[in-house]
Amino acid sequence: MADQTAQTHEQWLEEMDRKAREKQQSFIANIAGRLGRETAKPPAGHPYKGAPSFWQGFEWPMEERIERFSANFRSAGGHVVRVPDLAAASAFIAEKAKEMSAHYIVRQQEDALEALGLEEALPGCDVSVWNDDPGKPWKALAAQADFGVVLADHAAAYTGSLAVLSDKDKGRSVSLLPTVLMALLPVDRLVTRLGEILMPLDADGREKLPAGVHFISGPSRSADIENDLTIGVHGPGVVYVIVIG
Amino acid sequence: MSGNHSAATVKERAELALNDEFLRKAVRFTTERLRNGKKNASEEHGNWDEWRERGRQIRLHTIAHLDYYLNLFADNARANGAYVHFADTAAEAVQISLAIAARKQAKTVVKSKSMVTEELHLNHHLGTIGVEAIETDLGEYIIQLAGETPSHIIIPAIHKNRYQIADLLSAEAGERLEPDTSVLAGFVRKKLREKFLEADIGMTGCNFAIAESGSIVLFENEGNARMVSTVPKTQITLMGMERIIPSFTDLEVMATLLPRSATGQKLTVYMSAISGPRRIEDADGPDEMHIIIIDNGRSLQLGDPEFQELLNCIRCGACLNACPVYRHIGGHAYGGTYSGPIGAVLTPALKQNVAEWDDIANASSLCGACYEACPVKIPLHDMLVYLRRRKVESGHGNKWEGAGMKGFGGVMGSSRLMRGVLAIGRLGQGLVARDGEIRLSIGPLKEWSRYRVTPVLAKESFRQRWGTIERELREGLSELDPAMKKRMEAMKNARAGEGGHGHG
Ligand code: SF4
Repeated sequence: MADQTAQTHEQWLEEMDRKAREKQQSFIANIAGRLGRETAKPPAGHPYKGAPSFWQGFEWPMEERIERFSANFRSAGGHVVRVPDLAAASAFIAEKAKEMSAHYIVRQQEDALEALGLEEALPGCDVSVWNDDPGKPWKALAAQADFGVVLADHAAAYTGSLAVLSDKDKGRSVSLLPTVLMALLPVDRLVTRLGEILMPLDADGREKLPAGVHFISGPSRSADIENDLTIGVHGPGVVYVIVIG
Repeated sequence: MSGNHSAATVKERAELALNDEFLRKAVRFTTERLRNGKKNASEEHGNWDEWRERGRQIRLHTIAHLDYYLNLFADNARANGAYVHFADTAAEAVQISLAIAARKQAKTVVKSKSMVTEELHLNHHLGTIGVEAIETDLGEYIIQLAGETPSHIIIPAIHKNRYQIADLLSAEAGERLEPDTSVLAGFVRKKLREKFLEADIGMTGCNFAIAESGSIVLFENEGNARMVSTVPKTQITLMGMERIIPSFTDLEVMATLLPRSATGQKLTVYMSAISGPRRIEDADGPDEMHIIIIDNGRSLQLGDPEFQELLNCIRCGACLNACPVYRHIGGHAYGGTYSGPIGAVLTPALKQNVAEWDDIANASSLCGACYEACPVKIPLHDMLVYLRRRKVESGHGNKWEGAGMKGFGGVMGSSRLMRGVLAIGRLGQGLVARDGEIRLSIGPLKEWSRYRVTPVLAKESFRQRWGTIERELREGLSELDPAMKKRMEAMKNARAGEGGHGHG
């Protein structure tokens, strides 16, 4: 161990990686051998890829999607409201912030969320915008926040799930660390099946993937104490989806 | 006083579990609830058998080409910026994990639930180099405080009641906490939040790894797996080498089967696909991500026509909830990391040690309920028969078990028929439970092998009793023989004054 500390961290990583790749050879060779071949070869095809074919075309009309999404999300302990536009969404968030005496709000850095004008709507609150200053301790800030405000990238009605994708302006922490999550969902982002969100991830290819793709289907929950449903043991205990449109 | 591993057979451990009334009730209540949840969810979803078949086919295909898909996964995960390691054995996986922890001069590691790290006894090993491993899943945290092992894949603290939990957490808090779920959960939230922010390393398991994108996928309800993979600067993910699926398209099938089978949910509260460390400009997510791919006995199943399908398992726990024996005796009785029907087959298969472990296989009624419940249609009941046969063939069967083997042979062909006549629920459990008294002391290490078990009754009488259960199952008797009942009642009364069992 002593000589390792003399290495730079990069050198150490390189060394680990070299060993790992070497090990990979024998590890895979063993598997190939057990499967009765000398080296790993691509399969001829993947005949049973994805959901059964009867499922593929299945789609609900928009109104039914909204209804089903809401019912599913509520039965998981979440809340869903529907508003006509961003102004109404802003008013809703402001009203809830007052009702729950929220002081700290963190939101993703997105145009639609900028347009909410939360700073003006909530003069008493401290509203921060994720990563607008890379020098700040963003994770700790999010951990103290009462509200996290995000714009959902997608939602699936059949399971009642939101999908949020990370990037520099969209922290994974914003949908995770605050006590309350407020997620805006423009109706045109609501599809019927999970597969409609998952399959494009394949089609877009690995390079386009963000570090984190998170599906969220309600408030954080646990049933570990005597099967008694406990809400918010780690993630947000209160989750509102604000359907817009 | 036998601290010796082989002495703690599953029969003795079963007796131990039976001694705890609460455990039995809790196990039955929870498994019942999960089983009903699964039943409703699968019925509501519809075409369940077609989905199961699809799941099975995807798993069969992936395992049949595991060499190719693992290479593909490693290439893509590396392209995402992760470091991918391979470990043939538990010891190698431990060594890699410790090397990373040492290099990072880590003080604490926060962990989300991972059966693989249980398999490696990783917490213990981290402790030996002075690194504190903190389980952050509520149930795992509770049993870690208690110094125990999980008794159920999905609900690890299934055997603890709220008063016991309040005691454990109060000791941690340094103040008296009310035995109220929201008070207790509130304390854990605050306490663990500090731990997440302080920890040097976050450690996760892996439900699925997507070969085409190099992503790892985590299913959870609490959000601690997200915490562990978002907050600390270094992430280590440990995965069994069989966790691979080809694509996100295939994930839809797994996401349909796993939560419904595990808890009856349409989807767990969180499903996260993590593809490498944070991107350069991201303000959260780990700077460095290591993925350790572990064999540890899994490859022994490859190419074995009787057991290869074990690698299809998606660790949903549905077979546990369906199993009448598991519902009766609880998870700890199985002694390994994996309990229930899957544990009964997987544990000896991973250990490749017929002599020591396959007594677990006898703790099954071969009723086929596990197969019916399994979302990827693993024929566990057949595998249990193969295991017993292998034991007899390898000369480890004794007379009693040899006779059992024959008996089972007779009903094997109609094993499904037995479902309807299962007698175990009607065996007068309270009675069986109280009359075998065993003292249990918990050592400093959390492995069952270190638990000292002292059966008070002579082995013979337990054997006879267990033999009766087995015989009843075989013969499909539905009532306890009245004479037997009388005898047991008398034994129970005679023992009533002798003082109880306890954790001491
Ligand atoms: S064997 Fe089947 S039912 Fe049991 S845990 Fe594995 S996938 Fe689930």
